[in-house]
Amino acid sequence: MGLGGDFHFEPAPDIPGSDMLSKIIMSALRRTLDLLWDVEVTGRDNVPHHGGAIIAPNHLSFCDSMFVPSALPRRMWAIGKGEYMDDWKTKHLFPALGMIPVDRGGGEAAQAALDTAATVLDAEHLFLIYPEGTRSRSEYLHKGRTGVARLAARCDVPVVPVGHIGTLAIQPPTGVMMHINKPCTIRFGEPMAVSDFGSPDDPRVIRRFTDELMFAIAELSDQTYVHQYASKDDRPGVLAPSAPAVTKPGAPSPKVSVPKGRKVIDRSDTLRIKEPDSSNSDRIIDLRTPSAETPGIIDSKLHETTSQPN
Amino acid sequence: MNIAQVIENHPASDIALVGEGESVTYGELQQRASALRTALRARGIGAGDRVLVIGENEIEFVLATIAVLGIGAHVAPIRSRNPLPEVQRKAAAIDPQLVLMAATAAWVTEHSEHVVGADFAMVAELESGPYSENRASEVLSPVYDGDLDDLAFLLLTSGVSGDAKVAMLSHGNLNWVQSLLSENEAVGLTSDDVALCILPLTHIFGLNVILLTTLRVGGTVVLEAEFSVDESLRLIGEQKVTTISGVPRVWQAFVESDAPADTFANVRQLASGAAELPGTLFAAFQERFGAELAEGYGLTETSPIVTWSRGIKTKPGSVGHPVPGVEVILVEDDGTAVEPGDAGEIVIRSPGVFKGYLDDPELTSTVLTEDGWFWTGDVGVFDADGYLYLVDRIKDIIIVSGFNVYPSEVESILLSHPKVQGAIVVGTPHARTGEAVVAHISGEATVEELEEHCRANLSRYKWPSEYRLVDELPVSATGKPLRRVLR
Repeated sequence: MGLGGDFHFEPAPDIPGSDMLSKIIMSALRRTLDLLWDVEVTGRDNVPHHGGAIIAPNHLSFCDSMFVPSALPRRMWAIGKGEYMDDWKTKHLFPALGMIPVDRGGGEAAQAALDTAATVLDAEHLFLIYPEGTRSRSEYLHKGRTGVARLAARCDVPVVPVGHIGTLAIQPPTGVMMHINKPCTIRFGEPMAVSDFGSPDDPRVIRRFTDELMFAIAELSDQTYVHQYASKDDRPGVLAPSAPAVTKPGAPSPKVSVPKGRKVIDRSDTLRIKEPDSSNSDRIIDLRTPSAETPGIIDSKLHETTSQPN
Repeated sequence: MNIAQVIENHPASDIALVGEGESVTYGELQQRASALRTALRARGIGAGDRVLVIGENEIEFVLATIAVLGIGAHVAPIRSRNPLPEVQRKAAAIDPQLVLMAATAAWVTEHSEHVVGADFAMVAELESGPYSENRASEVLSPVYDGDLDDLAFLLLTSGVSGDAKVAMLSHGNLNWVQSLLSENEAVGLTSDDVALCILPLTHIFGLNVILLTTLRVGGTVVLEAEFSVDESLRLIGEQKVTTISGVPRVWQAFVESDAPADTFANVRQLASGAAELPGTLFAAFQERFGAELAEGYGLTETSPIVTWSRGIKTKPGSVGHPVPGVEVILVEDDGTAVEPGDAGEIVIRSPGVFKGYLDDPELTSTVLTEDGWFWTGDVGVFDADGYLYLVDRIKDIIIVSGFNVYPSEVESILLSHPKVQGAIVVGTPHARTGEAVVAHISGEATVEELEEHCRANLSRYKWPSEYRLVDELPVSATGKPLRRVLR
């Protein structure tokens, strides 16, 4: 148990954040986490020891951004909110943890974030992105944003799926306090390459890669997957209705009328677990691999609380 | 207006049609259509009547279609190579006032008492009857002058399962697509163009895009009765063909043939449709003949053009940009547009969108909104440059533990196994994962080989949970695999 293993500190004088401070803080953080929590890391060797790579974890708690970086064998970077730089408590600490501040909001900020990430990856470092785009308030694993795949294709780097369990109990979203002595498991999966899925110019390839990345994360995090983007309006076990997409001025209306007689295919069954039906189990080949723990299985909580988008 | 008038206002001596070893000039075509109009009217057929026209890619079929449109009646075209039960089923769906048969459909006359239809006639019989002298008359019988909303075609769009869908297309629908194609500079059709018609004239693409639009610009339509590479090569050379539209199977046949590398040197436009053109075939064709296949997307219900690759760089796998005048939105179930870069159901509004399904307002109300949006049932995704890519049919998507599985992806992996001949993938309810993937396979592969192949090439949630080895897979008349039969 424990974070264990070597930690390779990569100096990066061209990237924001003091190398010296970062080295001290990362070392202190790793020791503190090991001391206060029961941390288990698996698959650490799946993280490339050299060259650029994207680290893609699930996102449940604020403290994910401490546990995942500490479990890595190398230093990493990520985008953080620009406003942290205005607060004396965080303006040195966060960059030392690898955060590169980018002001949020608007398409320009998104482009700036992407360019920043590309700079780090092109310099052959690790870069962390949460593919869900935001913290999951529903506690399910949400549909992945395609930015990870597009960035990986642009920089020609692999993506390492990461699933962690336990950070929500350590730091629930309602409080700022972290509860000590609780277990936390961090699992690194095998790196995935976009080029294995086809041409990155084909948007279907980008989506296929993203879906399979989320499947890999779901297997590692033991979460239930929902094919809907995470929303700040989700609540534990309850999905907010999907919001209309933001379209450019002059673009066609973001909503069209639905044919009156249209029957929406009821797929609610696919989001529910039922007791395994022994009568038809003989003709079904078990989808599980023998070693895996039942990933991809729907959590029983879901059928009581799920509300599907209209 | 009447789209039968596409054959007017062209030099009388120009060649309009080539088929069965003969040529028909525009002058002759007008006179013969006029004579046939007179004969049809004498037979009691007029505006608003339904005429089942049975034939193949043959001159009599074209003549019958143009003549029936010209009296304001509605054309329901079907192929004469349909087996009798199919002809019976389709005739019953149309309930025609007249069944009009081209030469290849002569066999139907022997069964007419078993086919729904108030009256039956051969085209040749009407042409040779009391009005035959009109075939050479300079005085033409009048063309019915109707409204844009008057119906022109009743097109059968279903396969083998018996649920006939008959799409109603108006003169306005067809006219809009014809104007789009004939007036657009990127398409650049002129009276010098010679179109090789391999695709069946009983389908909307053959009818409206190849036949009627080429006639509208005064070009020549070369009818190929049954596709073969040798016959196509002969016609391309002899007739100096400039445009060819085909399905992937046609291009595959050319690639595999010993056709010379300069076969398409004088062909300006090569278009592929009906099914996705595999990237490997696009590349092989380009390598073999130095020519690019342009893909497009359309449906019977949209007359048919929705997207094309005219005037833009071709991207393999993409069906191109929406054509001018068509609104295309990708939406979720509730009509909300998906985020840029995401897949959604393709929803279309254009002057080409059809008038509904014949005698079936209920079915119509499942796809058409009052403000003119047609929900296609196809899932697509746009790239950042506005190119559309087709994903699958929305009803065919299988949801395994919340993850979308597209049958076409699993099918393409299965088909990549050398011992697999055909593959159809469908979903089945599953106690634990919601749905599970079931593969129907024809060919020589064993379940063990298939499992190994899928495990090596697909993510685990896409693995079939069951393989059903069959001798033959259900396919539609056009050769498309029919998943709904196996669901």
